[in-house]
Amino acid sequence: MVNLIYGTKNKEDTIMKEHNELFNTHPYMASYIIGATIRAYDEGKTSEDIKRFITIAQTSFASAGDLLFWQTLRPALLLISVIFGLKFGIIGPVLFIISYNAFHLFHRARGITDGYNKGWDVIYLIKAKRFIMVQHVFEILGALFTGLLFILIAFKINYLLLIPLTSLFVILLLRRYSATFIIIAVLVLIVIIALV
Amino acid sequence: MNVFVLAIIAAIILLDKYAVGEFGVSQPIISGTIIGAIFGDISSGIFLGALLQLIFLGESPFGGDIEPDGQAAGIIGTGSYFLLVSSNPLEYSLFLAIVFALVGGIIGGVLNMYAHVYNEKLYRVFMEKKHLLYVCHFAGLVTAFLRGLCLLLPIFILAHIVTIPRAFPQLTKELLMIIGLSVGLSNGLYLFVKKSTILYLCGGIACSLLLFVL
Repeated sequence: MVNLIYGTKNKEDTIMKEHNELFNTHPYMASYIIGATIRAYDEGKTSEDIKRFITIAQTSFASAGDLLFWQTLRPALLLISVIFGLKFGIIGPVLFIISYNAFHLFHRARGITDGYNKGWDVIYLIKAKRFIMVQHVFEILGALFTGLLFILIAFKINYLLLIPLTSLFVILLLRRYSATFIIIAVLVLIVIIALV
Repeated sequence: MNVFVLAIIAAIILLDKYAVGEFGVSQPIISGTIIGAIFGDISSGIFLGALLQLIFLGESPFGGDIEPDGQAAGIIGTGSYFLLVSSNPLEYSLFLAIVFALVGGIIGGVLNMYAHVYNEKLYRVFMEKKHLLYVCHFAGLVTAFLRGLCLLLPIFILAHIVTIPRAFPQLTKELLMIIGLSVGLSNGLYLFVKKSTILYLCGGIACSLLLFVL
């Protein structure tokens, strides 16, 4: 990316030497920081200031990305994909692959330009209407399709088991038991049900 | 299907989890479809992948706990199901495949932790020898691939050779559906239902009932 922007090998080497620390942020949000960093170099900011910006930005974008992508957008799209997959077959997985990749690739590309245009102010984008609206839309979709999961049930006596089992898992999640504990609980449950 | 070839394909799919792009290919519903297509039974692949997806819907790679590897669980579940069902009855195969998937998911989470430790070592090597940047990056990719292979290959071999005794527990598709739906519902309620979205949940339930009646 650096080589692409500057086209000079020397500049690339200098920047590579300055940024060889661990960089840990959300993978889909990294482009915002890259864009803003390129702008900072263009404006001739000092490498110390740039490093300070990166340290702050990577944490902020990591938590924003986790909330937007891992906790909202991806599970909502997966839920839609599961319902379509179980009802209509291959349409479900195809729908997920297209919509999810379109969204995050657009986001990654847009991050470079937004980061460059806004410079260090890009950090305020996290609280921008665009992000909050997208998150809210996918929360709504997630809630709607959680309700629509009921179209997968059948009118059979066995399906009454859904009530106690769902209640049990909701309680485990609300009491913040670890994911490993919940998976072990599912495993034990499957063994018990299979034995009975 | 050769078990080794399947394990290599599956380990490549699993690279999507961290090492290559994160395009969502390793999500259980997608990997289930791919493995189903390899074995010539896409609908069973989608069914198993979808139900494992519901179980691992809330998975997110952050936080202090060792997170079970939902992507690996999806691949193990569908892969071992197709290997088991070729020489065992469906209900027994389904039960064992799901057990393999859930146990494999937990082991995958632990292996993930070791892969992180190894990657940190690679980072320290890079800090001492800066010219090894590309070597360290490639070594990280190889680590991710080998992590997948070490996890998947033994389980697939076991699934390929095992003959399930008749006294073994059975799991029907209906029971698996009930368990998957209950975990999926609870994950959905936990992730999405707030004061501002509860109306949409009710709307979804109402639509389901309407579609049911119609």
